[in-house]
Amino acid sequence: MSWDSFVWFALTAVLLWAAGAFFAWKERKPLVYACTLTGIALFFAFILGMWISLERPPLRTMGETRLWYSFFLPVAGIIVYSRWRYKWILSFSTLLSFVFICVNLLKPGIHSKSLMPALQSPWFAPHVIVYMFSYALLGAATVMAVYMLIRKGKTTEKEINLTDNLVYVGLAFLTFGMLFGALWAKEAWGTYWAWDPKETWAAATWLCYLVYMHLRKAKPGEWQTACVILLVSFVCLQICWWGINYLPSAQGLSIHTYNVK
Amino acid sequence: MWVKPWKMKEGFLIGGGLLFAGMLLQVATGPIRWELFAWPVNLIVLILLLAAVGVMFALGRKVYAFEWMMHEGAAVPCLVYAAALTILMGLLPQVRVGGMPWLSQMLRFWPFVLIWTWMMVISALAALNHLLRWKVKEIPFILNHLGVVVAIVSATLGSADTQSLQLTAFTGEPEWRAVDDAGTVHEPGLAIELHKFTLEEYPDHTPKRFASDITVYTEDGKAVQGTVEVNKPLKVNGWKVYQYGYDVKYGTESPYSVFQLVHDPWILWVYIGIFMMIAGALCLMLFMAPKPMRS
Repeated sequence: MSWDSFVWFALTAVLLWAAGAFFAWKERKPLVYACTLTGIALFFAFILGMWISLERPPLRTMGETRLWYSFFLPVAGIIVYSRWRYKWILSFSTLLSFVFICVNLLKPGIHSKSLMPALQSPWFAPHVIVYMFSYALLGAATVMAVYMLIRKGKTTEKEINLTDNLVYVGLAFLTFGMLFGALWAKEAWGTYWAWDPKETWAAATWLCYLVYMHLRKAKPGEWQTACVILLVSFVCLQICWWGINYLPSAQGLSIHTYNVK
Repeated sequence: MWVKPWKMKEGFLIGGGLLFAGMLLQVATGPIRWELFAWPVNLIVLILLLAAVGVMFALGRKVYAFEWMMHEGAAVPCLVYAAALTILMGLLPQVRVGGMPWLSQMLRFWPFVLIWTWMMVISALAALNHLLRWKVKEIPFILNHLGVVVAIVSATLGSADTQSLQLTAFTGEPEWRAVDDAGTVHEPGLAIELHKFTLEEYPDHTPKRFASDITVYTEDGKAVQGTVEVNKPLKVNGWKVYQYGYDVKYGTESPYSVFQLVHDPWILWVYIGIFMMIAGALCLMLFMAPKPMRS
């Protein structure tokens, strides 16, 4: 599978997801699942094809992590739909996934076969994949926070409940990603935590989501403050994911920059 | 203010007090010198910390502040301070020497360490509180709060006991001297003989795999043979031997191989804490998340 075929796989998948989203509005449940899951399977087939042809997991470059992110958004969307029956969630996840697919079409990144020895580890795939899934869930939680802050008075218990759930599951996966990274780092470099800029931002992000979770417990009524904290947390998350490449404090210091030639 | 029940305001004031106290300590004693925490000082600090937590917990019913510390209301301000200082650390370049006063060496900055210590104490108290009113459904809470304390406290206190040395071995010449970060020569009690260094490259000449066939000789007479490569260290007598580097000028013909030797006596406790946290995170999504609501 070469990157050139991405456009066909991606656009077909987006069309299927869009059809699923359309049927969600029309309350045609079987068609929602059929379309969305077929799209997900098709997109995953492309990822697998890349995996096989590159002879390594496609997780090394920014473009490759975006590929997983576009994959996990509809996955998170269909999970939320199956549990909460929100009609709009699939429209949202399709749109956001489409944005990331467009970014990848315009800026594909380097997809060479080479994988530096440090990345050749059984921890590589789980570490990055759980992070991408967590980012997708926490992205959805961020959109919920914006939505609730805009509508203020009309916010329902059910919406708050959904946001809490997204954060709980997202934070669990964030924790897995961070700790898998620590276990891997110990095998690769002999230290499980070195306060590398990426690690510092991972810790900051993790702490911010913990603030949200504890605040929700301590003051359930102050959900608006909690929503603002979600926005701050998501900014930290973005800095951790790609923002540190532009931060003066992290220049040349992070061992987490792999796609720099 | 300070009227029961305490709100978050009290927590923010306590945190502010800790920041202020930390700054006074920073002025009085300078940045924290973690190397002073080497064994047995770290053990003594640990015992004092555990004793303090135990006493606070025991007095929980009598002293309101201690009871308050066991609940979410105390956790929020503490986490806010910890997050803010960690973000600051991420924004400002961190250097070993020089840089901005105080903030460029955040890990040695007293206020940062005091806030994190406060976080550990609060988390330990909360864990104890749930542990002692034992029920199966308390397990997720205990795993999360105790796990983070076990991992972070042992990682921090153990850091001074961790030795990390670099050893350069030429083919066929056993080498027992290794240097630390500061360039000081050490004899870690084991020697490495390099038999063969292998380097495989991608077509663009970036390294694909590099490995060293070695024998490690120990002071107690063992000779352990093995292959060390990136992500596959060798464990000998409490040391882990990592493939670190080679002479890039000569590439496949490199006459030597560089190893990193790491001795970390507290690692078991860090792993226990990490696995508690992983189990805790699993519980977080399976059992602790609120039940989904359908209208």
